[in-house]
Amino acid sequence: MIAVGYRVPDADLLLMGAGGPEMVNLGKRLRGRKVVIFALPGAFTPTCDSAHLPSFIRTKPRFDAKGIDEIICVSVNDAHVMRYWGEISGAAEAGITLLADADSGFTRAVGMEFSNPAVGFHDRSRRYAMLVEDGVVTVLNVEEKTGQCQISAGETLLAAL
Amino acid sequence: MAIAIGDRLPDASLVAMGEDGPETVDLAARLAGRKVVIFALPGAFTGPCTTAHVPSFIRTADAFRRKGVDEIICIAVNDPFTLAAWSESTGAGPAGITMLGDADGALTHALGMEFTAPQLGLIGRSNRYAVLLEDGVITQANVDEPGVCEISTGEALLAKV
Repeated sequence: MIAVGYRVPDADLLLMGAGGPEMVNLGKRLRGRKVVIFALPGAFTPTCDSAHLPSFIRTKPRFDAKGIDEIICVSVNDAHVMRYWGEISGAAEAGITLLADADSGFTRAVGMEFSNPAVGFHDRSRRYAMLVEDGVVTVLNVEEKTGQCQISAGETLLAAL
Repeated sequence: MAIAIGDRLPDASLVAMGEDGPETVDLAARLAGRKVVIFALPGAFTGPCTTAHVPSFIRTADAFRRKGVDEIICIAVNDPFTLAAWSESTGAGPAGITMLGDADGALTHALGMEFTAPQLGLIGRSNRYAVLLEDGVITQANVDEPGVCEISTGEALLAKV
């Protein structure tokens, strides 16, 4: 699993653009910048929808004030689902970037994948939040229990900055 | 297998969103002794699925019922959380259409209907088809070419029932 001091593995993620899904190279996106990445099991799932994403919507202005260049939410969904979720949750309006790890390539590369067939989850992401400076992880908060969102919440990461 | 009239649909475990969360649905049990329409599509919140395919079955749902169809089921390779959100936003739920998630793509794969378009973030998704099933046996089948939504629409299937 990824840890503090590690370089975030390069990956191509998808972002919904005006003309459809666009490839975003994570390595380039992180270069020379201070970026928060948080990841979660899935769009529209209860804890992600009611707690995790809202915690970063609430704290976005305070991250901005601390010099964070971008807050990125990663989930193993497709870009169509992520766009709609971004719209109805208010995350897009709050300035949070939602990137789709559609094939779970990034999630598997950071060792965060899990499956729970009973709820239709295959190679989804565990819940975590990290600060990445010039591509290197400087803070990593991984949620320990499923269905909870405390360690990986926006406020917890903010307090560590 | 391909989709052919006279064939029995392979048994599959699908996931539905119940009142208390995701529930497993045994497809064979659901089809036994009933007249059921199943239509499948590439994914929730994608363009033609949202604007054309689902609306065509919302428009024709009552006409199918008048012809003795017990249930109309939409299947996509999505999780039940995403499908529940999509069902609400499209109006499919209120129209009485059931959304079932083939979350691991097993049914789609067994039917030979899978397609992958990584640049769109669609991995192991379903091509478009619509079938009428009587007691689990395919009695009408309209399978679209990849990327189009013509003969798998509600109106086109209704004309054959």
